[in-house]
Amino acid sequence: MRLLEDVKSILFNTLNLNKEKVILAESTYLLGNIPELDSMAVINVISAIEEHFDIKIEDDEINAETFETVASLIALINKKMQA
Amino acid sequence: MSHRGRHQPAEPFFLKADLGERFCIYYPPAASKKCLGAFIYVHPFAEEMNKSRHMVAMQSRALAESGYAVLQLDLYGCGDSSGDFADATWEIWLEDIARAEEWILQKVSSPIGLWGLRLGAVLVLDYAKKYSGNFSTIVLWQPVINTGQYLTQFLRMSLAGEIVTDGKKGNSGTTHLRHELAAGKPVEIAGYMLSPLLANDLEKIVTTQLAVTSCRIHWFEFISESRQTLTPAGENLVSSWKKQGSDLSVHYVPCTPFWATQEISTCPALLDEMARIFLHEMT
Repeated sequence: MRLLEDVKSILFNTLNLNKEKVILAESTYLLGNIPELDSMAVINVISAIEEHFDIKIEDDEINAETFETVASLIALINKKMQA
Repeated sequence: MSHRGRHQPAEPFFLKADLGERFCIYYPPAASKKCLGAFIYVHPFAEEMNKSRHMVAMQSRALAESGYAVLQLDLYGCGDSSGDFADATWEIWLEDIARAEEWILQKVSSPIGLWGLRLGAVLVLDYAKKYSGNFSTIVLWQPVINTGQYLTQFLRMSLAGEIVTDGKKGNSGTTHLRHELAAGKPVEIAGYMLSPLLANDLEKIVTTQLAVTSCRIHWFEFISESRQTLTPAGENLVSSWKKQGSDLSVHYVPCTPFWATQEISTCPALLDEMARIFLHEMT
């Protein structure tokens, strides 16, 4: 599915992850699991998502639940794109 | 490493300016080459400046080796320059570029270019538009497209800090921070004290009004697997500038966002693309 591939690609690129070492799937945990995801990185991922999908994410949507897994991130994008 | 002996060393120095001095690094053009021109480099905002230092140093050395002089300048309140970040304003930064231009004109008579990364790109455009039309070229590396939105992203860092450190729902929303700024209070974000004046400067800038028509503009857009073109907002800005008469080309380079990655990263493809363009330009 396209959305998953796009989100994976944004994460790989924004966090500069090594594709040979990190495997991302929908069930992959993000916060607390991927050390590259510091506060600056969280903002960069959000900004990249906003730019890529041309959506606006509100402050109260940037929280630990959103960044729990790849799937939770995708769920937010889906919700925004249908809005 | 292996080529180090052949380089002319970079020359760090302090440049006299209003309100103290600015830390600069000057890369003289290779003595063996014909001098092709000079670049003044303007760094991005806050932490992005530190993260990008390595890549910018690589690029400066590469330009110097091919015959360009490069002057890197730490703006007021940034890096090793005088002043506190909390006292910096857009106007002081524009003045800083003016001092850099005066300095480089005494060194090099050949064409002078401006080069800026992210917010530094917006700053060089504003400078070229308002102050000086004497440049042969302007190089923009992934320019910030909307400075108000960029400010929001910066303010969000305090929110993200709470999420990452506590795993909790952050409660310092950007609306609250904007209220503080509007009330004339500085706010501290990720170790940087942001003044209400500078925040207001960033809110006010309209990048579509920065269409420079006095020289050629090279926009370097960093692409990835998921994004091979300009963002919709970037597309709009480019077409607005072109309508206003800017001579602009966009160069797409596959590149990680080296100004933001946690580990310091670099982008060899960018060095190649810059070399492809600037070994022929300006001569």
